[in-house]
Order: sequence, then C-alpha cells, then structure tokens
Amino acid sequence: MISISELNHRIGDHAILQDINLDIAEGEFAAIIGPNGAGKSTLIKLILGILPLQEGRIEIDGEPHLSWLKHNPMGYLPQDEKFDRRFPATAKDIVLMGLAAELKPAQRFSTSQKERAREAMERTGCWQQARKPIGALSGGEMQRVLLARAIVGGSKYLFLDEPEASVDQTGVKNFFVLLKELNQQGHTIITISHDLHTLTSFCSFLICLNKTLHCHDKTELINAETIHDFFGETTKIVHKSY
Amino acid sequence: MFTFNFLIRALIASVLSSLSLAIFSPFVSLRRISYLGEAFSHMAFAGIAIALITGLNGRIVTLLFVIVLAYIIGWLSKRYKLEETNTITIFLSVSMAFAIILISLSSAYAFDLSSYLFGNVLLVNQSDLIQVGIMAVLSLAFILIFYHQLFYLSYNAEMAQFLRIPVTFVNHLFLILLAANIVINLKAAGIILVSAQLILPAATIFNLVRHLPTVIVLSAVLAILAAIGGFALSWWLNIPTGASIVMLEFFFFLASLALRKKS
Repeated sequence: MISISELNHRIGDHAILQDINLDIAEGEFAAIIGPNGAGKSTLIKLILGILPLQEGRIEIDGEPHLSWLKHNPMGYLPQDEKFDRRFPATAKDIVLMGLAAELKPAQRFSTSQKERAREAMERTGCWQQARKPIGALSGGEMQRVLLARAIVGGSKYLFLDEPEASVDQTGVKNFFVLLKELNQQGHTIITISHDLHTLTSFCSFLICLNKTLHCHDKTELINAETIHDFFGETTKIVHKSY
Repeated sequence: MFTFNFLIRALIASVLSSLSLAIFSPFVSLRRISYLGEAFSHMAFAGIAIALITGLNGRIVTLLFVIVLAYIIGWLSKRYKLEETNTITIFLSVSMAFAIILISLSSAYAFDLSSYLFGNVLLVNQSDLIQVGIMAVLSLAFILIFYHQLFYLSYNAEMAQFLRIPVTFVNHLFLILLAANIVINLKAAGIILVSAQLILPAATIFNLVRHLPTVIVLSAVLAILAAIGGFALSWWLNIPTGASIVMLEFFFFLASLALRKKS
C-alpha cells in the first residue's frame, strides 16, 4: 500500500502539486493522467525518493518512503533514460543493473543472479536480445529491457513514466498487455500515460492530476470525453465503444 | 652499474605510471571527464607552489590541495547552480595564476616550468618509485574491486543511485584516486603525459573493441608499450621521454582510426 497525505510541492514560487491525498492499494493497475506540467512526473519522483519531499507524508507499506526505499528494491521505468548509445553494455548488462545493489565489493554476478536476469528478460520478452549491444536495440526493445531491469530485483511495485513515449501504436498495445500480465502476476503498477484508449482497457484505477488531485476512481466510471474536456487537447483520445 | 640502475628505475616508473593512469582512462572516456585530468594537474601546480613556500611535503600538500579544491568546486557548483565544467576551468586558471604569484614571490627557488609540463622520469628516485608502485597497486585494486559499480556509474549515475548502487561513495573514491594518481605521477610524467595517459589509451582501444574489460586490459597494454617504446625512442634520438610517449600514443590513435570499422 502506498499512502500519500497532505503533499505539497513547489519550485520557487510556482506550485507544482497541491494538497495531494492518495492511497494506492496492492494489486492495482493505476494510471496517472493529466496535461503537461500537471506534476505527474514530480509526483512519482517524490514517491520514489528521487525528489526531496517538501511538505506532506508518503508511506510505503506503513513505513516512511525513504526508509522503505533504503532496504527494498523498487521497480521504475523512467521516461527518457539518458545513456550513450555507444556505451559498451549489452541488454543483459542493463538488466543486471537492477541486481547490482546486491553485489558486495569485488563480487561478480552469481549464476543465480544471471538466472534471475534471464527470467526477467523472458517475462518481458527480450531474452532474444540479451547479448545485443544497447546501441543496436530498437525503442521498443530497450523499453522491454528497462522493464526487465525494473522487475528483476523482485519489487512488488512498478512505476512507469510514459512508457508509450518511445514505442509505436502496436508496440504500446503489446506493452500494456505485458504490463497487465505482470499486474496479474502480483505487481502493483502505477503508470503515467497520455493514451486514454489503452488505459481504459487495462487500468483498474485512474488518477487525474492537474496540480491538485481531481478524481481517482475505477476507470469504467469515467467517461473519456469528460476527461478530455477537463484536461484539454494534451490528453489523447481514441474513440472506443463503451 | 649506476647508469643501468637509474635507467631501469626510470623505465619501471614509466611503465607503472602508464599502467595506473591507463586503467582509469576507459572510465574517464566513458564519463566524458577527460578535462578533469587536465584540471587536476594544473591545480596541482598551485599545490606544489604552496609546498615550496611552506617547506612542507610536496605530494601530501599537493594532493590535499587538489582534493579540497575538487570538493570546493563541487560544492560551489551545487550551491550556486553553476555549470561544473565552467567552475573547473575558472579554478584551473586561478590555481595557475596563484602558483605563478607564489613562485615569483619566493625568490629563493628557481622553478623549472618545463620539468613540470613534461616531467622527467630520469629524475625519479627510489622513494618516488615506491610511491608510483603503490599507486599502481591501489589503482588496479580499485578497478578490480569496484568494476561493476564503476560500470553502472558511467552508464547513468542517477539511475545507478536510484537502484541503490553505492555510486556516491565509489565516485568520491574514483576522484580521490584520480587526483592521487595525477599528483604522484606528475614528477615522472608531467602534466602533458598525465593528461594524455588519461585519455589516449582508451580513445585508441575504443576504436577497435567495445567490450569494457578487454578495453581496460588493452588500454594498459597499449600505454605500457608506448612507455617502453617512447623510452627507447628518447634514448636513441636524445629527445624528452614524456613527449616521445605522447607522440607514440598519438600515432597508435591515428592507426586505430584507420582500422576502425565504419559505424
């Protein structure tokens, strides 16, 4: 369970998030939607301890988030991971990065850790690319590699920041099918997304954010057009029959 | 016998110094911080000047000076949101200016700038050799012990930190050892060779191989070959050793460009 209460965040005089109160239960497939600048990335970066908390409380499994994060693996797929395409790493090296915190000085990855990396890559469908240099991977393949890295540590929570950004439309659908499978296998998923059509098919919980929290309810209760009217053009609508 | 001993000592110092700087070069190259070699070696100049004025131990004062300055740069950049490369360049110039003023004030000592620029491996004594040797062992041990942490730190430091890899600690150790390497090897190698050994070996090998452990080993081999070759050239042609090593490494670099697969 992730519990956020009375959270405020500002940059200078500019309020980014105001009075956020939110509980995300285990097993949810939650999506955070909202226009650009709504504070979506800020919210998940605060939960993940990447940004310092200014005001309010965040608890994970009943423990203050920073202390929880110190001794638990957390799954996170950033929006735009910065890396040099010529960096001499294979896809498998990047997945093993998710286990590197377990290594003591002078220790190499054990057979069982390599086995866990293989299993994570099989689950996300990128084991075929294991030995490829990262520079040779397509956008979609890299996303799956980063997803494998996010789950390899065994985190029950999985945060994704606009995972569809670097993937084509078919890729997005397949990626969400994969996320749904991970969700059914027990991962709690929290994803930022613009693609309402895909979300309404997969998510159990929709978090609408625009500095303040506007609604968080079961997806089926929300009419996509209402959200569109509320948030404006930045939210992408693809018509589907309800 | 004396000539033989002093030549062998100079050669061993040259090889050890090349080894310990070259194994850092792949990480310096991947992290795009080759300017740090240049900056630290120039800052060391001010450290040497302070040691000359105060009469304290040159290497310890210089090393402490460079490390303290590196932390001040880091702190100032963070505190005032300055571009770190700009702050480094400012302190590089100021250190040089400060050193020149100090040296000009201490009339008792005539400072030989060219020996500082190019070093003089032939002046290396027994205690220098021991220090260079210890530095080489420390550098090798550091790379072997923290290979994975350095690898992921170089890939993406922020993500590595998020994934609870102890990158802050390893990065501090990396920068301290880099500074120590530069200060310890300055007498034998000089600024020019120190800067060259921190970038040229890896820049050359990365043109041919992309597997990092192989790059580290081959960078060390290349730097050692260049040291021996440069040493021989300087002996036969009666030209400065450090400059010969740099020219030889540059030749290897050009050859690697010619051999590089088009990508």
